[in-house]
Amino acid sequence: MIAELFYRRQALILGTLSMIGLLVFWQIAVDGGLINPFFISTPSEVWTEFLAQFEDGQVGANVGATLYCFVWSMGLATVVGIVLGMLAGWFSDVEAALEPFIWFKYSAPTVAFYPLFVAWLGYGTPTIIAIAFLFALTPIYANTLSGIKNTDRDLARAARSFGAKPLDVFLQVALPGSVPVMMAGLRLGVGRALTGVVVAELFGANAGLGYAITYYGQLMQTTKMMVSIVIVILLGVILTQILSFLESKTDSWRVDSGR
Amino acid sequence: MAQIEIRDLGIDYRKPKSNEVFSAVDSVDLSIEKGEFVTIVGSSGCGKSTLLMAMAGLVNLSRGSIRIDGKEVTGPGRDRAVVFQEASLLPWRSVRGNVKFGLEMQRWSGGDLNERAMQMIRLVGLGRFSDYHPHQLSGGMRQRVNIARALAVDPDVLLMDEPFGALDAQTREIMGTELLRIWERHKKTALFVTHDIDEAIFLADKIVVMGRNPGHIKEVINVDLPRPRDEAVLDSEPFHDLRKRLRAHLAEDMSSMQLVKEVA
Repeated sequence: MIAELFYRRQALILGTLSMIGLLVFWQIAVDGGLINPFFISTPSEVWTEFLAQFEDGQVGANVGATLYCFVWSMGLATVVGIVLGMLAGWFSDVEAALEPFIWFKYSAPTVAFYPLFVAWLGYGTPTIIAIAFLFALTPIYANTLSGIKNTDRDLARAARSFGAKPLDVFLQVALPGSVPVMMAGLRLGVGRALTGVVVAELFGANAGLGYAITYYGQLMQTTKMMVSIVIVILLGVILTQILSFLESKTDSWRVDSGR
Repeated sequence: MAQIEIRDLGIDYRKPKSNEVFSAVDSVDLSIEKGEFVTIVGSSGCGKSTLLMAMAGLVNLSRGSIRIDGKEVTGPGRDRAVVFQEASLLPWRSVRGNVKFGLEMQRWSGGDLNERAMQMIRLVGLGRFSDYHPHQLSGGMRQRVNIARALAVDPDVLLMDEPFGALDAQTREIMGTELLRIWERHKKTALFVTHDIDEAIFLADKIVVMGRNPGHIKEVINVDLPRPRDEAVLDSEPFHDLRKRLRAHLAEDMSSMQLVKEVA
């Protein structure tokens, strides 16, 4: 019975065990004097500090500021990425015209544009949103593009045989067929947008998780800094999981369960 | 005049790399009467599917013309519907959604779409499965949906491109009988491409035998087997004679294939 349960959930159980193992090792290594707590703090201290920061409203304020930028940047990247991706996937001329920019985006680190955005938008929220937007844009654009471009030719032909106009083929065949790939792009985009927000906050902000990390980092208050790092990790996991869930909802028709 | 008139038809393709032109179909003349069931048979590469797709208006003609009821074919039209080989159902739509698809594309105005679709789904024997999705159906059932989708738009001509090609022999035979049962009801003009000799004879009033290099018509054979037909006809004397005749044709093609080394 327990063995069966173990096999069914093997990956989850092993993953959880290794996480707990790491936390225990971390705590013991510091308590036993193997590592100086200055460098890494301890799980118990981080937890205590988390409760304290939660109580005095810091956690709420930082998470709120980060999520605000995240939602804006992800929202913009979703709209722009999907619209451009659809145009480029459908019209090969648009794809060719956009290609160089995508190359730039792939080869140059987006953070390199940071000073430019500061010059245009100043320190703070607008610049953070702009950087995170650029972080998230590429996978959303690229996935939408490939989804539309790789429209099943047989399906498109079948539609045309019934007199479908190009717009019908786009709306009824290309678009619904691309939804799962687009969702995968959004899932990647969510991770990138969060990274973008936090990275931009590290450089210049007056609130947010990234800001808290640099702030306490410069003060060498490792425990306080670790609280925000852990929250960033959890936030990333939760947001990505939500998107994975939505993704699995939209491509149920791709599962070949009945064959 | 016959319902479908094909005159001196030629279809050329340009090979993508070498830019070399090759003829998929050449000098095809064919007349098909209203209500006839015509099968087109030939070995692979004889242009039989290309010919069908040209009738569907999905392929550009290089020479000659195709007229249906006197009207020149320049593209897909409401007078025709195509049943494709396989996997041409929209995987995200249910059986009913797929059957409605053709009606939606044609901006069907002949009454309630749902009702029309359900009627066709029942006709092909899938009444209980109207809410299923294609991935939940067997290959044979999927092709029934494909047929229902084509019949739903009430075409004058039904074009079928090896619709049972991916099915096992058993299912294939059942589907052939089913197809005839459905066809007997309306006797729409039907064109059916296949490489299966028995299937070609079993279904046909008229068999068009095609050969390769370039695709052309070798012979048109009339089939005088009585209708309605069932599996018993497969063992009859005339059926055996026809089978022998078709085999000889295809064997000839196979041997010429070995002489001319094809560059795919």
